[in-house]
Amino acid sequence: MSNSHLLMKAGFITSPAQNGVGRYVCQLQRVVLKFCKNNGSSRGVRDFIESDLVNFAKDHPGVVVYLKPRRHRGPVIVAEYLNGEKQHVYCRNFTSEVVSKWLTLLKNQQGNHEGMRLRKMWHTDHPSIQGPWTPYTFREPSLNLAEFPNDKLSSPASLEPSATDRLIEAFKKQQLKELE
Amino acid sequence: MSLLRQFCSKLAPILVNNSVRSTQNVSAAITTNRFFSNKPAPYEIVDPKIEKQEQQDIIKKVNEQVNANQQGRIFAVVHLAGKQFKITEGDVIVVEGYWPPGPGDKLKLDKVLMVGAKDFTLIGRPIVEDGLANVTATVIEKTLSHTKTDFKKKRRKQYKNINFYRIQQTMLRINTIDLSGKLNNPPDVTGTEHRIL
Repeated sequence: MSNSHLLMKAGFITSPAQNGVGRYVCQLQRVVLKFCKNNGSSRGVRDFIESDLVNFAKDHPGVVVYLKPRRHRGPVIVAEYLNGEKQHVYCRNFTSEVVSKWLTLLKNQQGNHEGMRLRKMWHTDHPSIQGPWTPYTFREPSLNLAEFPNDKLSSPASLEPSATDRLIEAFKKQQLKELE
Repeated sequence: MSLLRQFCSKLAPILVNNSVRSTQNVSAAITTNRFFSNKPAPYEIVDPKIEKQEQQDIIKKVNEQVNANQQGRIFAVVHLAGKQFKITEGDVIVVEGYWPPGPGDKLKLDKVLMVGAKDFTLIGRPIVEDGLANVTATVIEKTLSHTKTDFKKKRRKQYKNINFYRIQQTMLRINTIDLSGKLNNPPDVTGTEHRIL
């Protein structure tokens, strides 16, 4: 186990514009596939463009898809989100299936979460409905009427009977037996 | 444990059917036990008729509040993908690991372990009755966690291993938590709701 994630930027769940409260809106706005027409490292991206890209664009009418061929540069997918964030995925030597998987991930996200650790797996605006716990939550109500100084309340919560107490008790028992 | 007892005490008549039950000694004297939960429970024989009447009164009160829609904000504890979440309307929760639902999917969460409002809590045994609580949610996001490092090393043993991995995360928006249906009114035959006969 390593603790390097402790030095990472940490934050809480954010979802732009109350997404999903009324209906779900795909947050991916624009995606640019940059690739080289000749180089082998762009092979997977080129395959993906030939076979699956048209279907992807048809399935997601809300996403603008751009292709940007450029000579002798590595292939990159750039995703732009409605909240203005941008994410680059470098696709050197990826197969078309892997490119497809990364594109699906970019489509399913709501922003660029790279390099951010979630502090909590839960977000709520109403943390407590029946009231948060306080030290007085399960206390006996008669404590409200207690008058101080109070011997009983000042003593430790669980105090074992002392040797003297036990002796006195034994003596009393003995006396009772004698009476019988 | 003390939390559970608190809930139990609130709904004791619904939950406990024994004719013998614990009672609280109500007295003005201050006891050395400062918490209800620590108090040793003295026992007494309870009249089953009175007991039943008390049960019905409490159930009636809860039913009245629910019917008049005066219960206010409701919370629920749901069992989802192996974990339990305490949720209320508008919450976002994260399900970790492989989980098939995709973004935009609307779900009904069936395993409701507990439902409650300000004045009452309904505890399931282990889940509340089918149709009593209606919890719906929308999948809003599927993403990956930050890169986690799994680094192992044994000193003086020529052993070192490093792995990097990211966990799949699914964000769920809780849309509604409704109390529909009558409390403590189970159907005659149970277990056939999801069967095709």
